[in-house]
Amino acid sequence: MLSCKQVTGLGSDLIDRQLTLRAHMALLAHLGLCSRCRRYVRQLRLTSRTLQALAMEDEPASAEILARVRKRQPDPRPR
Amino acid sequence: MDNEFELVRQIRRGDAAACTALIQAHHRFLVAMATPLVGPALADDVAQETWLKAFAAIGEFQGRSRLRTWLARIALNEARALLRRSRREVSLDCDQPDGMPPLAGRFTAEGAWARPPMDWHHDTPEALLTEAELLECIRKHLFRLPDAQRAVVLMRELGGLEFAEMAAATGLSEGNVRVLLHRARQRMHAMLEHFEEQGTC
Ligand SMILES: [Zn+2]
Repeated sequence: MLSCKQVTGLGSDLIDRQLTLRAHMALLAHLGLCSRCRRYVRQLRLTSRTLQALAMEDEPASAEILARVRKRQPDPRPR
Repeated sequence: MDNEFELVRQIRRGDAAACTALIQAHHRFLVAMATPLVGPALADDVAQETWLKAFAAIGEFQGRSRLRTWLARIALNEARALLRRSRREVSLDCDQPDGMPPLAGRFTAEGAWARPPMDWHHDTPEALLTEAELLECIRKHLFRLPDAQRAVVLMRELGGLEFAEMAAATGLSEGNVRVLLHRARQRMHAMLEHFEEQGTC
């Protein structure tokens, strides 16, 4: 039986589907019985999904960046 | 995705406002992702070259991935080309001091929870990200991660890249990439947990 500490170490491999079948079964067996680890894995998945949705908007220097790009490439339209 | 298609259509027509909007949405991400790979001095060049290539090739964007993923792939190619030209290699420092493990002291000697996780007030990304203070805190902690962990999080979570691509870009094994990603997620989880429990960053 995996310990809770070992389960938390496998959280990302579960999220990213990188576990072997054997490790996956062992993890599911633990999670079926342990609500604390279920909660941890759920929160780790939420952390991952939150980062996926994170925007990194820039200060409005973008017009200037576009001007620099266009100076090097007069017609941005392909063909 | 639909919004992205509309934006792409406008960019194909050469609409300057649409081009600016695209740069505004992703420039900072591209620079942040390139910085650990090529260093801060060259990261801006990588982003600049990425825009040049992206606007020239926007007709080829098929919408099979998110725009951010498509741009991240172009940026990794540009980073590689730039390093080759300057005869340098990626030098990601994976042994940067990392402080206490995020779950230190949370388990008994037998590995059972001593201080288990508590329920959070927010249970979706949307709920978490609409909280301005929390959003600021996430960004702050993202930039406090050790370089190698930040590079991997930006490539995987924000960039949506595959492990093989990340290994090729960093010169690390896929196993090492996965270890770095897990550590970074655990650290970001600890930050969110602190915010949920204490209400402060
Ligand atoms: Zn457990």
